[in-house]
Amino acid sequence: MDVFILLLEGIFVSFEPLNLGLLIFGCLIGLFVGAMPGLGSVNGVAILIPITFIIPPTAAIIFLAAVYYGAMYGGAISSVMLGIPGASTAVATVFDGRPLAVKGEAMTALTAAAVGSFVGGTVSVILFTLFAPPLAEVALRFNAPETFALMVMAFATFVGLGGDDVPKTIFSILIGLALSTIGLDLITGKPRLIFFNIPGFLHGINFLVLAIGIYGIGEMLWTLEETKGKVQMSKLSVNMKEVGRAFGALKKTIMAMNIGSFLGFFVGILPAAGATPASLMSYGITKQLSKNSKEFGSGVPAGVVAPECANNSASTGSMLPMLTLGIPGSPTTAILLGGMILWGLTPGPLLFTQEPEFVWGLIGSLYIANFFTLVLNIALIPAFLMVLRIPFAILAPVIFVLCVTGGYAPTQSLHDVWLMLLFGFAGYILRKLDYPVAPAVLSIVLGPLAEKALRQSLILSDGSMGIFFDMAEKPIAAIIMYIAIVLLIMPAFGPLYRKYIKKKQTT
Amino acid sequence: MSIIKKLALVIVSLSLVAVSSVSSAKPFSPKKPIELIIPAGQGGGADEIARLVQGVIEKNDYASKPVIPINKKGGSGGEAMTYVKKKAGDEHTLIITLNNVLTTPVNQPELGIDFFNDFTPLARLITDTFLVWIATEGKNTQGVETFDDFIALAKGNGLVMGGTGSMSEDELLLGMMRGQFGFDAKYVPYDGGGAVAKGLVGGESDFTLNNPSEQMGFYQSGDSKALVMMTPERNPAFPDVPSSYELGYPDLEYYMMRAFMAPAGIDAEVEKYYTGLLHTVYHDNEFQTFNIDDGKLMSWLEGFGLKDFLAIEYAKHGEIIKNFN
Repeated sequence: MDVFILLLEGIFVSFEPLNLGLLIFGCLIGLFVGAMPGLGSVNGVAILIPITFIIPPTAAIIFLAAVYYGAMYGGAISSVMLGIPGASTAVATVFDGRPLAVKGEAMTALTAAAVGSFVGGTVSVILFTLFAPPLAEVALRFNAPETFALMVMAFATFVGLGGDDVPKTIFSILIGLALSTIGLDLITGKPRLIFFNIPGFLHGINFLVLAIGIYGIGEMLWTLEETKGKVQMSKLSVNMKEVGRAFGALKKTIMAMNIGSFLGFFVGILPAAGATPASLMSYGITKQLSKNSKEFGSGVPAGVVAPECANNSASTGSMLPMLTLGIPGSPTTAILLGGMILWGLTPGPLLFTQEPEFVWGLIGSLYIANFFTLVLNIALIPAFLMVLRIPFAILAPVIFVLCVTGGYAPTQSLHDVWLMLLFGFAGYILRKLDYPVAPAVLSIVLGPLAEKALRQSLILSDGSMGIFFDMAEKPIAAIIMYIAIVLLIMPAFGPLYRKYIKKKQTT
Repeated sequence: MSIIKKLALVIVSLSLVAVSSVSSAKPFSPKKPIELIIPAGQGGGADEIARLVQGVIEKNDYASKPVIPINKKGGSGGEAMTYVKKKAGDEHTLIITLNNVLTTPVNQPELGIDFFNDFTPLARLITDTFLVWIATEGKNTQGVETFDDFIALAKGNGLVMGGTGSMSEDELLLGMMRGQFGFDAKYVPYDGGGAVAKGLVGGESDFTLNNPSEQMGFYQSGDSKALVMMTPERNPAFPDVPSSYELGYPDLEYYMMRAFMAPAGIDAEVEKYYTGLLHTVYHDNEFQTFNIDDGKLMSWLEGFGLKDFLAIEYAKHGEIIKNFN
């Protein structure tokens, strides 16, 4: 098979001293960038692009891909240890990673995140190696109606996210959707819901501002109240027994790994989606399909594995449309794409044949980068765990500073910092009132994607909803739509069905 | 000998002092990092050029302080323009232009932007143009070989055009063509030029008006073809595509300008410094090669020439918008 020969050559390329050195360096930078709230892979890659003008394109892409990749691993660290999502891609990791850490099982959470990332990354790069050209064709056929159907499916899984209290979950989803409409109308380009004409609202509500506010500030206030500023956990030992236990917990996460890897990759190859929606959808679907879905959110390893697996898988997947079609699959690949053009390459259908060293060097390096980040992560876990030994009275101001920087960094506007603090306070109150906040966070990410796809589809169909159910013309959209409807109905009928079974058994 | 040498040295150095004191009392140089505001999202055409300029400056140490690109994409450039307007007198802020700087002040009067008084134009580096693209295997455009074939087809049938968003350059161009050729199309907006190009090849739209670089990959692989380029002459990057002048449609001429502006109220010295910096970038080998290969037109313009150009373009866009609505 020539694919394997090309791949081997690619792996050799990434073992060249310059490339290997840059790869490891890139992974380390990525870990750091990912772990720092407010600095994500997007910023990391954008900041580092000018440096790459002095090295050959292949070395440059290997370096930046390693940063991208490392950031996917790194995001989990602050999500688990501090409860602040380190990057937008790691928001879903907070849902179960943070409760695990609070329960004293931070070791398990970090191991699950690292191994999940490794599995997701490896599965997706194998898929990439074997099926890149046919998958590019799929991405090309995946247009507005298909995207909207996929979004409906994602929302359908969210209804089950907030536990049994469906009205409160729907309320939370609607809050998120309403916030996501602030800013520019996606179709007409006119500003809408610009409160008091404050220009800061023109760029909309940045999803990270909401996530850092609710999880970072909200969590800080909550923990302060709970711990009264004392050390959260005193007994924390890192020994072989703990390590064994952590790996043992992974046995129950095989399903999450499968869902995360395949779904993540698939969502990743779709233009304009990327790792953030992928990780959120993977969490939602894994929870929905899990036998113990009720325990999700209170700290189960599968809840960490699902999003971590998906974000790595999606980040690899999103390189596929970038290389083969010249369109970005995620915000980070949009910048990488700019970089490729600046290095003198033309992304597009011919890239694989014109620049084999570049393409296969990149693919080969992804295998190696995966391995190195896994090793680095596992090795550094004891260092990360030190964070939990710090009294919360000292940790709280640090978290506060990180949140403020994280809110400021993406848009460099103070407006967003105030918004973040507001959301933090609101999040704390919602939590006291027992409202699920995760669905709001999910909706603000997917809301704009869904709105745009819906309105594009309706323009194409002259306003007819039939475009989503047309088996003959758009079979992919129709099939996804029907699955979505089933998923939507399932949680509503689930309790009824269980009641019915119970009744039958008692009578 | 040595006395003459010394004398010569003194004369030379004296004259140098004299020259430098005549030309400038104290030349400006940046004291902190320079913010380069991009009124569009990451990965688009303006972003690409801004980051290229940043890269060329950093690689060659053309400036004493780093250039930091910041994307402010809200409000079709409204967010970025409001930001720069507020920075009046700031010596460390630049903005790269898309044509949305010409349309947004007209379309969104509530922002209160005065295009001619809120900015200091520095230089235009590049102009980019548009082409009419169809997919080679487009199901609704079969048999279309020339632009005239296309017009004939488009008149009878409601074709779907993919574009980059409401009131963006390509929708205004569609409005212009509607007036000139009497056809209309269903306009579907996408996220950026890359997604527009993909929508065409993926069969969702029937034609697009993309920049050269946005379709380059599909053009080279033969998945898409261009019918006309909206310039007086052919472009060496697309040798087989006729210009609108050749086809007898000189009114179908349109440019996207990549110029740089500073806030209003900066000293002449500062203006001179940044114009000089941009001039150095413009003549950089790498910058030239990259843009020419990408099908862009190198078109330096500064001073009064630039001011006239902007005034003409502003009026032209005002006219297009008026006819559009």
